[in-house]
Amino acid sequence: MTSKDKDRTRHSSGASPKGGGSESDVHVLGDEIRPGPAVASLATKAGAVAVLGLGGSAVLGMLENDGFRRFSYAYLTAYMWGLAIGLGALFWVTLQHLVNAKWSIALRRVGEILAGTAPVLGVLALPIVIPAFLGHDILYPWANHDRVHADHLLHHKAPYLNPTFFLIRFVVYFAFFTLLGRFFLKQSLAQDKSGGSEIAKRMQRVSGPAMILFALALTFCAIDLLMSLEPAWFSTIFGVYYFASCFLAANSCLALAAMWLHKQGRLTRSVTVEHLHDLGKMMFAFTVFWAYIGFSQFMLIWYANVPEETFWYKERFAGDWATISTLLLVLHFVVPFFGMLSRHVKRHKRALAFWAFWTLGVVYLDMYWLVMPAFGAEGLPFGLIELSSLVGIACAVTAATAFGARKVNNLIPVKDPRLPASLAFENI
Amino acid sequence: MSDEHKKEPAAAEKAPLHGLLAEYETPWQLVEAAKKVRDAKYERWDTFTPFPIHGIEKAMGIRMTGLPWFVLAAGLTGLTTAILLQWWTNSVDYAWNISGKPIWSIAANVPIMFELTVLFSGITTLVGMLMLNGLPLPSHPLDLKERFARASNDRFFLLIQASDPKFDEARTRALLDETRPVVLDEVLEDRVTSDRMPRGIIYATIVLATAGAIPLALAAKARFTKSRDTRVHIIQDMDAQPKYKAQRQNPVFADLRAHRPDVTGTVAVGELRDDDHFYTGKTDGAYARTFPSQIALTDATMERGRERFGVYCAPCHGLAGDGDGMVAKRAEYLAISGEGKGMGWIPPTNLNQDYLREQPVGQLFESITNGVRNMPPYGAQISTEDRWAIVMYLRALQHKSAAK
Repeated sequence: MTSKDKDRTRHSSGASPKGGGSESDVHVLGDEIRPGPAVASLATKAGAVAVLGLGGSAVLGMLENDGFRRFSYAYLTAYMWGLAIGLGALFWVTLQHLVNAKWSIALRRVGEILAGTAPVLGVLALPIVIPAFLGHDILYPWANHDRVHADHLLHHKAPYLNPTFFLIRFVVYFAFFTLLGRFFLKQSLAQDKSGGSEIAKRMQRVSGPAMILFALALTFCAIDLLMSLEPAWFSTIFGVYYFASCFLAANSCLALAAMWLHKQGRLTRSVTVEHLHDLGKMMFAFTVFWAYIGFSQFMLIWYANVPEETFWYKERFAGDWATISTLLLVLHFVVPFFGMLSRHVKRHKRALAFWAFWTLGVVYLDMYWLVMPAFGAEGLPFGLIELSSLVGIACAVTAATAFGARKVNNLIPVKDPRLPASLAFENI
Repeated sequence: MSDEHKKEPAAAEKAPLHGLLAEYETPWQLVEAAKKVRDAKYERWDTFTPFPIHGIEKAMGIRMTGLPWFVLAAGLTGLTTAILLQWWTNSVDYAWNISGKPIWSIAANVPIMFELTVLFSGITTLVGMLMLNGLPLPSHPLDLKERFARASNDRFFLLIQASDPKFDEARTRALLDETRPVVLDEVLEDRVTSDRMPRGIIYATIVLATAGAIPLALAAKARFTKSRDTRVHIIQDMDAQPKYKAQRQNPVFADLRAHRPDVTGTVAVGELRDDDHFYTGKTDGAYARTFPSQIALTDATMERGRERFGVYCAPCHGLAGDGDGMVAKRAEYLAISGEGKGMGWIPPTNLNQDYLREQPVGQLFESITNGVRNMPPYGAQISTEDRWAIVMYLRALQHKSAAK
């Protein structure tokens, strides 16, 4: 009664060995892995709206007649939101290499393209960085030479918080982000031609030290651009707090990008519901992570009750800001926690897209809560100028991504040895 | 040969059928067989493999478990428990002001809320998973099949239980035959192993449970009984020390008191304080007009006086001694705003007045040491040298304000 059913010579640990070598898989996928015309048209359309949005907000800023103060705050809020997307994507790509992830290979090229927006983000930072470098304290009190001399605390912090060092650091951060993003994209594109595991191993080797440098660069970038708005305040967990927003924003954008590409008939069989499920899991997990870090930051300051630190939170609990703080807790944690808990939500495209947009929205709310109290206006300043800055930045990031996508041949790393595992990936 | 030799004594005692067991050499055969069994709508069957086979749950038609719902319920229970526990203990049963935080302090409660949510969820996941899998399973009829040991080695098994509604020995056997197993065998119910709990375990449980109840019983008795007897002294040396305690009797003395008063005229080392000028600010009963010799009239003393003045005196009297310290300002605010209605307040003295400029330094010293009018005494808080330093600084303030 024995039967030697040895119809397969392969003995992989999977249930049934799916797919042949990577080449035949890719051949089967055909046209869906090329960017296609939709990407090109998105690039130009988003670019146009970006110019309108940013230009419009600059004009509105001029009309405010306050020395571009309101414009700067509105722009900074939107910019840090946009930066979170790019830097989160760069982190994500580095992470996938660091842990030799297999499930995400089909998404990696999209992530690399998102991460490649770092130089554009560097240019978009100029309206914030240049005025500070020139000594205008529109945003940063420490930028003004006279103020620094008059204030004991600013004077003490001047070795770090001074315009020249600030600019140098800014250049270093964005040089690093640009070079790292370029490295991963270039290596990945080279891998498209040569295949084999040599390039994959090289990227993995680089990702270790790169991750450490990234953590440092991101932490100090967040400190420089966000925390130094109120130079008397400090929090050692601030870099991690901003990082949580970065990861959330990047995962949401990856999910949205994948779903948009599906709509254009791209990557329909490469990026499956399994990949989207995993992106959804990350969005859910990091919602909890954000709340954890945010609460850690709050609780220690609240419990110690030292006026040197508590004033920052007192500003954010006073008057109208109390509403925003409550909304932030409820909308950024409580609602998405229960909303994204179920696996069915993560496997359903419309639901996942909803939560991706929601997450991006609350990340903006978080930036608003971080930045705007320093503006010191009566009530909550939110109007056309904030909206057009947000639209401008969003479209700029979209355009930069789409332009980057236009330049590549394949939207998946076609010769990565781990690609078959990614294409066959199944969640439980 | 007679029929008696052919008698089979085992026939009447053969155990009932538990199920049919099919053995395969490769996981793919097992998965294909599982699909067939699933499609034939069997319900009481299972597969056994040495390692997990991805996708076999779909091949077997295993439905998603309901465990996540239990975990969610457990998590919410944990959350509620944490809130109620902390609310009850901190705000109701034993309300206690901790660092000036609110009596019911939700922010401080969050770590425990988080922890119990996770703890209850985690334990429920583990225990629930075990229970839903019927684990621990002490014995199973398959344990009697020697071949089945290869299920944890290199063979793959499929068992269909006879209790399945669709089970029919002939048809089920035929179905399994189609999947071409290496071996297709019967599994009989276990009539060999006893299913009684071993006596050793029963005895051990009884002994341990009884022994474990003893400390609880003792604790309950101690907690709830009332008795006028003295406590049981377990550690005699500690409870009956060979010494006299303050309220006990000592037969050595005529008045039998163990607690003796100080011998008249006893002075502790360093407490003689015979220098009146230094310690009281008075010489021959009158306030001294000069500083005692122990005080060096130097910049260092002045600086010490300034610093101590800032610590002890400035809150009420102000940094320049004008009577406008923070305490006074607060009192003023309370009075003006109406919040201080019903509260009495006498403002601190302005130290730059003429009559105080003319007071001897000894009198200033005594005011600080013993207090004056509503000002409390500071003698216990400020050392004698420091008090003189403060007087020196105060004089400097008074001279400065006179010069204006």
